[in-house]
Amino acid sequence: MIEVQHLTKRYGPFTAVDDVTFRVEAGEILGFLGPNGAGKTTTMRIITGYMPATEGKVIVAGHDVFEAPIEAKKRTGYLPETPPLYPDMTVRDYLTFVARIKGVAGREVRGRVDDVMKRTHVADMASRHCAKLSKGYRQRVGLAQALINNPDVLILDEPTAGLDPKQIIETRQLIKELGGSHTTVLSTHILPEVSQTCHRVVIISKGRVVAVDTPENLTARLRGSETMFLQVAATGGEIEPALAGIPGVTRVAVTPSGDGTLGVEVDSARGHDVRRDLAAAIVGRGWGLLELRPMRMSLEDIFLHLTTDESTVEAQPEPEAVDA
Amino acid sequence: MRNVITLARKELSSYFASPIASIVMGFYALLFGYFFYALLAFFERQSMQMSMGMGPMTMNINQMLIAPLFMNATVIALFVLPMITMRTYSEEKRSGTIELLLTAPLTDVQIILGKFLGAMGLYAAMLAVTLLHMAVLFYYGDPEWRPVATGYLGMLLLGGCFISVGLLISSLTKNQIVAGMVTFAVFLMLWVINWIGSFAGPTAQAVLSHLSIVEHFDDFAKGVIDTNHLVYYVSFIVFGLFLTAKSVDTERWRG
Repeated sequence: MIEVQHLTKRYGPFTAVDDVTFRVEAGEILGFLGPNGAGKTTTMRIITGYMPATEGKVIVAGHDVFEAPIEAKKRTGYLPETPPLYPDMTVRDYLTFVARIKGVAGREVRGRVDDVMKRTHVADMASRHCAKLSKGYRQRVGLAQALINNPDVLILDEPTAGLDPKQIIETRQLIKELGGSHTTVLSTHILPEVSQTCHRVVIISKGRVVAVDTPENLTARLRGSETMFLQVAATGGEIEPALAGIPGVTRVAVTPSGDGTLGVEVDSARGHDVRRDLAAAIVGRGWGLLELRPMRMSLEDIFLHLTTDESTVEAQPEPEAVDA
Repeated sequence: MRNVITLARKELSSYFASPIASIVMGFYALLFGYFFYALLAFFERQSMQMSMGMGPMTMNINQMLIAPLFMNATVIALFVLPMITMRTYSEEKRSGTIELLLTAPLTDVQIILGKFLGAMGLYAAMLAVTLLHMAVLFYYGDPEWRPVATGYLGMLLLGGCFISVGLLISSLTKNQIVAGMVTFAVFLMLWVINWIGSFAGPTAQAVLSHLSIVEHFDDFAKGVIDTNHLVYYVSFIVFGLFLTAKSVDTERWRG
């Protein structure tokens, strides 16, 4: 549905987007993840036809965005970072205006406007001026605007930015619902959002794609080893050699916690499930096993890992600014 | 065409939703009314003097009142129009709504024409208020209607030139004040460009006088539609809109 091929955007000597290639299948929700200034917004602006690329091409719903912009734009809904609202217009007038310029047929305009207002829960604000809307409503009117022509492709630039937790959940739910009938690309800083809403993730850093995969695979791929966390009621230094002797265990780190128990981290090689052996070893020696759980590498860790790896490759010592 | 009309209507209704339209129309009417009164009083005194055998031999209301009134009205337009056009693009850029327009299935030409017609609509509404003054003249006097009609045509064309330049300048900046000031300076320059004509050589003088935007207005105010002037105004407008299209396009590339 969306095909991005070798996209490059340069501003003078500065390369904002560098040879980005990915594709989004019909009905898929793709998360676009990256630190500030990674090139997310630029890429989205190119996909929506707001600006041309320096090199490469984008095909949206079978239409080349540069060669047939009108056809491609007819099939695209776009929510920019700041919702593009006209302060003087009421929500209804605004959505009617957008419906008209997006090519919704005259007699269908009213129905479409009512429909998107209902879906985005802004119907109660229909006759209020956009200037007087709260941030949450602005964002939702922005989303309503993007949906107005029932586009094949939805491009959402940080759709949940500035919303309160309840609204965030509602918006994510809405995006998920839309997933089946619309192909969606959404950018975000918020990592749990990606694992909750997206089918696939593209991680971008300094204008380059550093990873494309499902959230689950990304987590799995980056876990070179499994880590278990145990809480054990035991004293003395016998625990370390006892656990290190189990086949497959590569590292044991013991940290006494305040209440007289021990926190233990155990690394094991991939493919070895050592949980049974760990439990048997502890219980067999008469110690109390209070907790045993796998420590998963979170998307946050993956994200930091990938985006900072990038900077070490390029030998740039300054740490990457990540606001997540 | 449907898109152009939708955009023009949006422009026009945003003028009327904000205080801009009422302020601009109100003060235009006030100033026009003042000039109208001044010229009318002068005309009255002259005709009184004529009736006593001391004034001019013939009195022509078209030449003595309406033509100078149009000239004065163009001066008001010079001040007012930059305030109408300065926000057209600048405001969209500042608030980010330009992203909506540029990602909608619209061509640049449609957007520009929509904005142009929207501003022209407000300008025409300003001029429409002055029809009231004309109606008074027609009611109590007996002016020729043709020079009045050509005068309004000239006013619209002159305003169109200003608006096309205003759109161009507004498309170059995010800052409305900058857009307004530069537009005003350019308008004024176009207005007075032939003042230095008498110090220049004969060829330069002809060129400068042809460039001067108000030089071409005289004939319209007098009731003459000269193709020379018509071509000047129309090509001026088209060229201004063309440059605006180029400016919007380069803006895209620069991001």
